[in-house]
Amino acid sequence: MTLLDEFAPETPDRGTPAVFGEATAQVTVDGISVMVPVGTSVMRAASLAGVAVPKLCATDSLKAFGSCRLCLVEVEGTKGTPASCTTPCTDGMVVSTRTEQVQQLRRGVMELYLSDHPSDCAGCARGSCEMQRLAADVGLAEVRYGLGGASHLAETPDESNPYFAYDPAACIVCSRCVRACSETQGTFALTVSGRGFEARITPGNSDFLSSECVSCGACVQACPTDALTEKSVVSLGMPTRSVVTTCAYCGVGCSFKAEVQGSADDTRVVRMVPWKDGGANEGHSCVKGRFAYGYASHRDRQLSPMVRDSIDDEWQVVSWEQAIERIATGFLGLREKYGVGAIGGISSSRCTNEEVYVVQKMVRAAFGNNNIDTCARVCHSPTGYGLNHAFGTSAGTQDFASVEQADVMLVIGANPTDAHPVFASRMKRRMRAGARVIVADPRRIDLVRSPHVEAAFHLPVRPGTNVAFVNAMCHVIVTEGLWDEAFVRSRCEEADTYLEFIARPEHSPEATERETGIPASDLRSAARLYATVPNAAIYYGLGVTEHSQGSTMVMGMANLAMLTGNLGREGVGVNPLRGQNNVQGSCDMGSFPHELPGYRHVSRPEVREIYEALWGVTIQAEPGLRIPNMFDSAIGGSFKGLYVQGEDIAQSDPNTSHVEAALRSMELVVVHDLFLNETARFAHVFLPGASFLEKDGTFTNAERRINRVRPVMPSRVGKDEWQVVCEIATAMGYPMSYAAPSEIMDEIAATTPTFAGVSFARLDAEGSMQWPVTDAAPHGTPTMHVGSFVRGLGQLTPTVYVPTTERANRRYPLVLTTGRILSQYNVGAQTRRTPNSTWHPEDILEIHPSDAELRGVSTGDVVELSSRVGTTRLTALVSERMPAGVVYTTFHHPVTGANVVTTENSDWATNCPEYKVTAVQVEVVTQAARAEVDAVAAQPVRP
Amino acid sequence: MSEAADHGVPPVVRLGHDLVRNFEALPPEKAAVEIATHIRKFWEPRMRHELLAHIRWGDTTLHPLLVRAAEDLVDGDVDRSEVREPSGG
Repeated sequence: MTLLDEFAPETPDRGTPAVFGEATAQVTVDGISVMVPVGTSVMRAASLAGVAVPKLCATDSLKAFGSCRLCLVEVEGTKGTPASCTTPCTDGMVVSTRTEQVQQLRRGVMELYLSDHPSDCAGCARGSCEMQRLAADVGLAEVRYGLGGASHLAETPDESNPYFAYDPAACIVCSRCVRACSETQGTFALTVSGRGFEARITPGNSDFLSSECVSCGACVQACPTDALTEKSVVSLGMPTRSVVTTCAYCGVGCSFKAEVQGSADDTRVVRMVPWKDGGANEGHSCVKGRFAYGYASHRDRQLSPMVRDSIDDEWQVVSWEQAIERIATGFLGLREKYGVGAIGGISSSRCTNEEVYVVQKMVRAAFGNNNIDTCARVCHSPTGYGLNHAFGTSAGTQDFASVEQADVMLVIGANPTDAHPVFASRMKRRMRAGARVIVADPRRIDLVRSPHVEAAFHLPVRPGTNVAFVNAMCHVIVTEGLWDEAFVRSRCEEADTYLEFIARPEHSPEATERETGIPASDLRSAARLYATVPNAAIYYGLGVTEHSQGSTMVMGMANLAMLTGNLGREGVGVNPLRGQNNVQGSCDMGSFPHELPGYRHVSRPEVREIYEALWGVTIQAEPGLRIPNMFDSAIGGSFKGLYVQGEDIAQSDPNTSHVEAALRSMELVVVHDLFLNETARFAHVFLPGASFLEKDGTFTNAERRINRVRPVMPSRVGKDEWQVVCEIATAMGYPMSYAAPSEIMDEIAATTPTFAGVSFARLDAEGSMQWPVTDAAPHGTPTMHVGSFVRGLGQLTPTVYVPTTERANRRYPLVLTTGRILSQYNVGAQTRRTPNSTWHPEDILEIHPSDAELRGVSTGDVVELSSRVGTTRLTALVSERMPAGVVYTTFHHPVTGANVVTTENSDWATNCPEYKVTAVQVEVVTQAARAEVDAVAAQPVRP
Repeated sequence: MSEAADHGVPPVVRLGHDLVRNFEALPPEKAAVEIATHIRKFWEPRMRHELLAHIRWGDTTLHPLLVRAAEDLVDGDVDRSEVREPSGG
């Protein structure tokens, strides 16, 4: 699939969507016979027969529309010339696509289009506009009406969006963009205004930037002319070749064609086009993956290794050899002085599986301990604990396509329209098709109500009370006899213990209402809905895991799914929405202090033997330090050296002052990253990292789909990250080398049962695969726990609600919860260095009107947000999306730094920080502080 | 054990009390076993040693259940059967 010298092949655009079904029809198109499912359009059947029918308004990602009239055909035995896109095939149909009458009609239609199309269309000249090509296809020699019609030429193009422009002069009003915005994206931001020659596309009564447009690029993708075009194409010209790779932003793991130009040594990315055959995204994208790739060439990018003796010194650029020698000498010295447990590593959930694997190998084999952890610690580690406990494996149970069979979706602690937008588009499409959604979230997120979708229930669960909520749901289902007894008795254990526990009156909606804030009647109705439809699925995010009972809540959701038999088939399941592109993979690769790859505890001798035999070392049988434990041990004086790959712990981890104190306590901090981030302020060695455009490896997304990441350009820093890690290990006395990343995956496959059938060659052949990939499932496993759970029987677990110790009080009467926003990603290191900051230049504090009024806060005011651990300042937004008593902000900007106020509280089982519950106070500050915040927010994102 | 008092206590004490709060609804013997098992599976040795040091020092802020669980850390070898299953998280 990797074709560096030409465009990567993909399934051709067949004009209308595929139809599935068992009944078939035999159709003859221009003498060629083809068998298609009944309901397939004539246009699609023709394409399958190898006959291309000209089209302008049709594309196979959208339902047929039949407006352009180019695709007319003749059907034997019927009158007239129907549009092939809207004509379904019937058995025995005989179609002619190139009769003289049809071709004459097509030429007439093209004449009309071209009479009102700019005669000097730049898009036609460069090949981004299809009009001239189509004119040639239909054999049009002249336009009898003349060229250069007057309509729209005097109108100003809309250049408001930083990534694309709309030029009315080139628009043929085929409405593909309008339909893409509605059918594919589900935002409904576009419409056709005016009639006849006055018709044009408008994003409501505003420009694109001010409208509800979310800049996903679906309209640009769909546009057949140059009316909607990427500004990068206008400035750089058309690409000359493409590489299929995987997005490095969220856990959806969209596949893209990186379309580039230039030589191998001077490659320029022209645009990222969502790959139609991508298993996770099927040709759709969001603003981040589609457009926000410019950070890879930002001037802030560090390209050389640097060292300094003290964090107060200036950086000195050194060679790779010098930097690696400094690291090796330093870590060996610390180990000698303070003991083998004095050093450790943090691997990245944004790096490839291969890179993460070698980091944990370096720690175990070269460092000699198990002090390896990953950022999953602070997001989905409770998922791993809880799902493993309940089902026997630490991953979601379904693939994304499963949502298309769901009748009810229970969305808990997740905001997919912002954090997993491409998957949210699927959810909204399913909602428009009739599925119902129950949203359990303190905030009124977009899924509660937005164009053409409305949740059946919004349960505004109070932060910190999730377990009480899920227990109440299960209580209703059990006490009202709605549980699936056959499933429970045959596929679960500890059923009687759990049933007795959950039936207790303290778990009723009425008893928990005061704690959760959810009206009992609403909760009962929602529980009945979930339990009584054929297929009900749970989708959840960090609003579940980032709590003191995160793991307990995951087990509670597993209980809910098991009670109702919603496991082991499509349309159901327990689905964690993983935040980062490879957080699943970094967990799979053994980046936990107590586990080797494949989630096998380090104390198991038979597992250690596999790696000890292969690596030639002794692996410690005791668990190592988790990230929070590293910080505590650093302050305590026993942890002195840290290698940090692709994580900005000084910004992303809670209680910033504690993290900073820990980093200052260490004698050697090595940061391996793209930019000098907040953590690098405390580093002694900086190693420049590679962006995803330069990587060769794999990512694993939230549905366990292993996707290839292919290099679009050579590493700008002279080395691949996995090579650097190997060289550090070698310099420390443990020789480690591979000829290519594919060898690393081969080693993973040889040692990790769930990856046994994975290789780069298999991934190139299959496109992607969902683990486990084994002899029993050679092409991967979209749906897990079919017939039985990985552990055999599912474990029903009494989930006792234990209130968090972080409670609102007189001094801190509000509760802060945090989340993400569409245009920014994680700590913002990548997206803040792109024009995405147009939409979110600063983190904002959302506050309910009653809380705001009590404090004299208005939208735009600078407020001081304080907790028992710290204080920061933010700009306020008074919003009715918030419940009273709860405030909300994001964590994308280091200056305002939401984690200055978050605390050390964590999940009891995994130490995942309780980001979602912090007792705070909000107070208005002075005009001087307003100016200070304005100055910081105004710091430009340099192009 | 005071919830408020856990703010600012040594991390191993705070983490230990988090475990106590999660398991204290169980019968005491079973709760102690669960806490000890969790500590053996997930706590690095220096953290266990630090907890045991607190007990030796006679730290009166320690919950009795945590003290009871720590007895299993001293007396028993790690039961490997408890970690036979995948243990993600």
